[in-house]
Amino acid sequence: MSFLDKLFKKKEAPAAKVNEAANKVADGIGKAANSTVKAAENVAKAADGAVKGAVDKVATAISSNDAKVTHTLEAADLGDLLPGAPSGGKINLAIYWAAACGGCDVSILDVNERILTVGDMANIVMWPVAADGKEKDIAAMNDGDITVSIISGAVRNSENEHMVKLLRQKSKLVVAYGSCACFGGSPALANLVADGKDEILNYVYTKTPTSANFQETYHKGNPVIPQTSYKAPEGELTLPVLYDTVKTLDQVIDVDYYVPGCPPQQETISQMLKAVADFAYKGVALPPKGTTIGITTKTLCDECPRKKENARITEFLDPYQVNVKDGVCLMDQGILCLGAATIGGCGAKCTKVGQPCRGCYGPTAEVQEQGASMFTAVASLLPILDDDPICDEEKIIKIVSEIKDPLGYFYAFTMGKALIKKAVKETGGQ
Amino acid sequence: MADFEPRIVTFCCNWCSYAGADGAGVARLQMPTNFRIIRTMCSARVDPEFILRAFSKGADGVMVLGCHPGDCHYIGGNYRARRRIALLRLVLEQYGFDPKRLKLEWVSASEGEKFQKTVNEFVDTIKKLGPTPVKKEEN
Repeated sequence: MSFLDKLFKKKEAPAAKVNEAANKVADGIGKAANSTVKAAENVAKAADGAVKGAVDKVATAISSNDAKVTHTLEAADLGDLLPGAPSGGKINLAIYWAAACGGCDVSILDVNERILTVGDMANIVMWPVAADGKEKDIAAMNDGDITVSIISGAVRNSENEHMVKLLRQKSKLVVAYGSCACFGGSPALANLVADGKDEILNYVYTKTPTSANFQETYHKGNPVIPQTSYKAPEGELTLPVLYDTVKTLDQVIDVDYYVPGCPPQQETISQMLKAVADFAYKGVALPPKGTTIGITTKTLCDECPRKKENARITEFLDPYQVNVKDGVCLMDQGILCLGAATIGGCGAKCTKVGQPCRGCYGPTAEVQEQGASMFTAVASLLPILDDDPICDEEKIIKIVSEIKDPLGYFYAFTMGKALIKKAVKETGGQ
Repeated sequence: MADFEPRIVTFCCNWCSYAGADGAGVARLQMPTNFRIIRTMCSARVDPEFILRAFSKGADGVMVLGCHPGDCHYIGGNYRARRRIALLRLVLEQYGFDPKRLKLEWVSASEGEKFQKTVNEFVDTIKKLGPTPVKKEEN
């Protein structure tokens, strides 16, 4: 029986690796083993082959296993593609970018053919990246004429602030669209420059290689930095004034809904569009004010197909430094992944292809600090009781010091919502 | 800055340090009154968010006191606290804080004197560093 036990173990090994071919052979082994030992010996050889084949195919098998993971978030069906204008007439839709890269504007088109519904449903009264519609057109509207304003980007200068306040005044609903609008995003990392806008402007216009070269050639000894107003003979010319602190949208205006993501994923976007379309066509009540659209209640780890193995790590690596193993938690492989501190909803698209989560969907509902949640998660990965009962302080400091730019990594998208939002300066007891 | 009285938030673990602080009080050891104690069940219960919140609300310094290594009531809690705080110090430094504003110390239930010594030293450190660099309007 011991031989058969061994055989069955062998059978289980490839089966556990989720290889369909191996499964079939293994099933065969099971049946054959019941009949005669000799036949079992024959298939044992086949099983050996299957084991080898299975090992070769582990990568593909696991990726095909990924496809079976179901997500709670499905792309919402918007109904008929070309439903015609709503009975009450087309709604007015404004899409605006404040301090943003434009990726959010492009992402709206990710909903593929569903975008046609938007064209039927709404007049786009403003969309700087794609459509006409000027500030004066918006200013000429009555309050509440715009049904929905979708605003992406953080608020960083006087123009951003003026426009979002104007849109708020003219809109029934304002959606903070994308991580910058919701949490500050990458622009909010500018808050970590200790001397604020002066240091940033100075650096950008005199220290970066291209501008340093320009200043050296044309303005030697008297570098030129753009002014926010200039009195020309024809009148005063102005540029927006840069602020010291980058703010999230809801720190400046009242926001009705939040759609996180960098950019928001198409499931999330189509859920948002469905909510608006249901409202416009059928009069279905909108979600309660303050709802974050498109998130789950658990962290990204819940959606991620990778398995956690409770490995202890003693060094932090970037994905390019390792051969990322499929099916194993990225943190176990030493790659800093923010999934443990990030709310789910995106479908774990990054971790599925071996890239760590950067946390664009923001913190979970229970905490304010995404970064602080992550410190706890990272700290619990360091060796504790397994190989090193004490793990002295020097060793800990050595390990954690490998994390370059911890604030920039752990708060890549949420600096605008962090508890301490700005760099500080010690006065040295003065 | 001679009249600067720091405000210090102290997290004490229930099993060792809180009893140590109690012991210091029972023994009537003299200590500055700049610290406020918050009792937690373990030093590992002190989420980094608590510490950041204390700083964001204007604390001049934060102390986390726990059981000595190997003495944790929950076996490994103080090790976890130490790891988190090492990481948090990096972050505070990057914000521009002097990392000395965050102190982690081990005080057992019988070490009233060590509690007194720790508090005295920390208050001195903070007095030298001056008030918190976090500005009121940013809180």
